[in-house]
Amino acid sequence: MISETHKWKVAQRASPQKLSTSKGIFQLGRGILIGSILPIILLIAWEIAARTGLLAAHLLPAPTIILEKIISMYQDGSLFGHISVTLTRVFLGFAIGTGAAVVIGAIVGYAKTAERLLDPLFQAIRSIPSLAWVPLFILWMGIGEPSKISLIAVGVFFPVYLNIVAGIQGVDRKLIEVGRIYHLTPYQLTKRIILPAALPSFITGMRSGLGLGWMFVVAAELMGASEGLGYLLVVGQNTYSPDTVIASILLFAVLGKITDAVLKWVEHRSLKWQDSMTNQG
Amino acid sequence: MLNVSRLKRTFNHDTAGFQDINLSVKEGEIIGVLGTSGCGKSTLLRVLSGLDQQYEGTISIENGSNNQIGMMFQEPRLLPWLSVKKNISFGLEKEERNTEKYKTYLDLVGLTGFENHYPKDLSGGMAQRTAIARALITEPEILLLDEPFSALDAFTKMQLQDLLLSIWQKKKTTMILITHDIDEALYLCDRIFVLKGQPGEVYSEVSIEKQRPRTRGDGYLSKQKAHILHLLNVEKKAAGEHQ
Ligand SMILES: Nc1ncnc2c1ncn2[C@@H]1O[C@H](COP(=O)(O)OP(=O)(O)OP(=O)(O)O)[C@@H](O)[C@H]1O
Ligand SMILES: [Mg+2]
Repeated sequence: MISETHKWKVAQRASPQKLSTSKGIFQLGRGILIGSILPIILLIAWEIAARTGLLAAHLLPAPTIILEKIISMYQDGSLFGHISVTLTRVFLGFAIGTGAAVVIGAIVGYAKTAERLLDPLFQAIRSIPSLAWVPLFILWMGIGEPSKISLIAVGVFFPVYLNIVAGIQGVDRKLIEVGRIYHLTPYQLTKRIILPAALPSFITGMRSGLGLGWMFVVAAELMGASEGLGYLLVVGQNTYSPDTVIASILLFAVLGKITDAVLKWVEHRSLKWQDSMTNQG
Repeated sequence: MLNVSRLKRTFNHDTAGFQDINLSVKEGEIIGVLGTSGCGKSTLLRVLSGLDQQYEGTISIENGSNNQIGMMFQEPRLLPWLSVKKNISFGLEKEERNTEKYKTYLDLVGLTGFENHYPKDLSGGMAQRTAIARALITEPEILLLDEPFSALDAFTKMQLQDLLLSIWQKKKTTMILITHDIDEALYLCDRIFVLKGQPGEVYSEVSIEKQRPRTRGDGYLSKQKAHILHLLNVEKKAAGEHQ
């Protein structure tokens, strides 16, 4: 009797592992389902309120109107232009900011003298709210693309830089000693031990850098642009069309989420070895 | 092969580490080091391996090139982002790293079928066996082993002790083996150094004059074991008297 209950318990414990894939999808589906109940109710309430005139339509138009706006922009071809311009700016800024952060962060993290020399400076610069650079960049580079991309790059730089330095300095000395036993050169040591060990922290930095990149692209496009989602915000404000503003906010949210999901996927792919909560089973 | 004289490495104003170690190890000799926890055994290996350069005294390695020293740490120290097979191949030259050479050693330590696992999915003993394979694969001339079998069950332990002996038979590798297991030291070593104190010093040296392979627990070894136990016991009594 006892042994039978015991067996049953064991079987019950073992089952989630075996069914992990199908059950995982099921749980994911259920998670999305539960998570979307509230937004859907809110959307319906919003739609009804806007249709019945409870909400002033010139301030907060109904969701369907916003959707129509997006579809009409898609049909007249302007949607793709705005999105691609904004995405290009984010990617260029992100690439430049990350690239600079990798080079400088690796040097500062690796060489003590470089750290003493450079880190105080970067800490000081970091304490300047990045938006304060806007006027200076415009003075220096005009209102065109360079100043926008620089602003985004500055925003991306700091989180990536800080995480790389922390990642490199946090590499377990014991693992570095393994490399020294095999007489790795500094270059080999960096490539085979330090960089892989610092990778998790680097990816964390990239994800928060990307978030800031999206924030700064809005700032950059608000300060003067002739295309882009941020420009749509300005247009919507100037033409009193809240549907344009909300449509562009929505598009920012969707794009931000998609790009973050890509990085999250990269993270998952390259950090499978990590002994973390999400990697169990 | 390896000569060490008046070697000293201490920490915290001479209260930890080891001092006054004199060793002269012949080629192909297996040296055992026994001693209480914290008496500087791991520190000694770190100094011998070249990881710790802040020692006093002299170390000389005859006809020694750089890559002759292999080391197995007290902890497995596997690289968590590499699979078992890549961890085993870690110390090989680039051309050899992607070959099948790891297979032999994977089999020898009994991990066949686990080559693609990551260290996070290994048990303590499996991780230790991976580390053993990694230390052996480069075929160093001097092998420094810091409690290599401490996490293994009695049976696997004996198997791997025999593995070590078969490698010794083939290559006449010089080994320095730290262990807490007196039987292991008696089974494998030519000479056993008993360290004691803080900082640790050589308290006694025991030679095991017996051809390998030896029979575990044979009369002579038992007598030596009693002797070593006595040495360790005296040490305890002496410590007691001080208080
Ligand atoms: N880098 C260090 N700085 C300060 N103290 C150290 C350092 N490394 C080791 N010690 C001290 O030296 C002493 C000897 O350490 P060691 O690791 O060599 O001991 P051990 O003989 O290997 O012990 P065990 O059998 O437990 O492994 C310990 O008291 C330790 O605290
Ligand atoms: Mg130790």
